[in-house]
Amino acid sequence: MEDLKANDKRSYIDNLIDFFRKRSIWMLHYCTGCGAVELPPSMTSRWDIERFGIVPMATPRQADVLLVTGYVSLKTLKRIIKIYEQMPEPKWVLAFGSCTVNGGIYWDSYNTITNLAEYIPVDITVSGCMPRPEAVIDALQTLMEMIQSGEGGAYKKYKENYEYYKKNQDRVLRKTAPILGSSETESIYQEKEGNYET
Amino acid sequence: MKLDKESIIELLNQKGVEVLDLYPNQISVNIKKDNLLNHLVFLRSIGFDHLSFINAVDFIDEGEFELVYHVWSYTHKIHVLNKVRISRNNPVIPTIVNLWEQAQFYEQEIHEFFGIIFEGNKDLSPLFLENWVDIPPLRKDFDTKEFSVRLFGAEIRR
Ligand code: SF4
Repeated sequence: MEDLKANDKRSYIDNLIDFFRKRSIWMLHYCTGCGAVELPPSMTSRWDIERFGIVPMATPRQADVLLVTGYVSLKTLKRIIKIYEQMPEPKWVLAFGSCTVNGGIYWDSYNTITNLAEYIPVDITVSGCMPRPEAVIDALQTLMEMIQSGEGGAYKKYKENYEYYKKNQDRVLRKTAPILGSSETESIYQEKEGNYET
Repeated sequence: MKLDKESIIELLNQKGVEVLDLYPNQISVNIKKDNLLNHLVFLRSIGFDHLSFINAVDFIDEGEFELVYHVWSYTHKIHVLNKVRISRNNPVIPTIVNLWEQAQFYEQEIHEFFGIIFEGNKDLSPLFLENWVDIPPLRKDFDTKEFSVRLFGAEIRR
C-alpha cells in the first residue's frame, strides 16, 4: 500500500480510486487492420490478460480503454471518433503497430490515415508490425502504471484541444474540394457524373 | 448438353469474334463495345449461366479502359474472359444488369473506382468510399502517394 500514500499532487483518495481503476480495465478492441488477431491469444489461456483484470467489453459506454488494432481507413476513422466520444471518462487509447504512427506499409494509400494521434489523443503506441501478445501485455501494464501515477490523461487533451482535433478530422472526413489538382480526365469525369446522382 | 472447348470456339468463330485459347478450361474473347450485349446474350443462351466478375483495367498509355467480363458455365466447365476496350475519354458502356443481376455491384464498384459509366444502370451510387471528391482512385493518373502526402501528411524519407 506504499504507493497509495498521499503526496503534494495527489490525495490518498485519488490514489485509492486509481488503484481500483487500474485493476479493472475494460477494453473495447475495435478490430481494424491486422492487429486484431493478436488479441484472442492475449485474452485466452496462453497469455490470459484477465489476470490483470482486463476484460473485453461489448459496448463503448462501458469501456475504459480503446484498442485501435492497426491501420485506420477513412471510413473506420469516422467510427473510431464516434466510439471514442461515446466512451465515458476516464478513457485511454492504445494504438497498435506502425500503421497508427506513420502509416506503416500503407503510408501511401489514398484511404488510410497515417498518424492516429492527429485525430484522437493516443496514450500508448505499441511498436511492432504486428505487436506480439507480450508487447500488448507490456503496453497494458504500462497503462496500469500510468493510471496509478495519474499520468494517463490524454483524454483531457481532447477536451482542451478539441478545435485542433476537430480541424484535422474535418480536413480528412469532410473534404469539399479535390486534393490533387484538376486534370482533363477529371473534368470529363465530372461532366458525365452530372447525369447521375452519386 | 455438354459442349467441349473446341466446339465452343467453333461456335464463337462462326459468330465472327476472335477467340484466344488460354488454358484447358479457359478461353479469352475480344469483342467490340457495340457487340457486347449480343455476345453475352449468345453466351448465356448456350449455357454460360454465371457471371463471376467484371474487371476494369486502365491502359493509360493507350488511352483505353479494358473491361473483362468473366463468365462461367456449370455445364461446360469453361471460363470465358470477354474483353472489351473503351476509350478513356468517353468511358461509357451499356449495363448488363438485365442479364445478370449481380452485375449491379460490380458496375457500381467499377464506376466508383474508375469512373466508367454504365449506361442504363439506375443506381451508380458509391459503395466503398465516403465523400470522395477527387478523380476515381484506381485510375492510373491518380497519384496515391501525392494524395497521401497532401491529405494525411505522410512523410517521404530517404
Ligand atoms: S502495423 Fe503491420 S500488422 Fe499492424 S495493421 Fe499495419 S501492416 Fe498490419
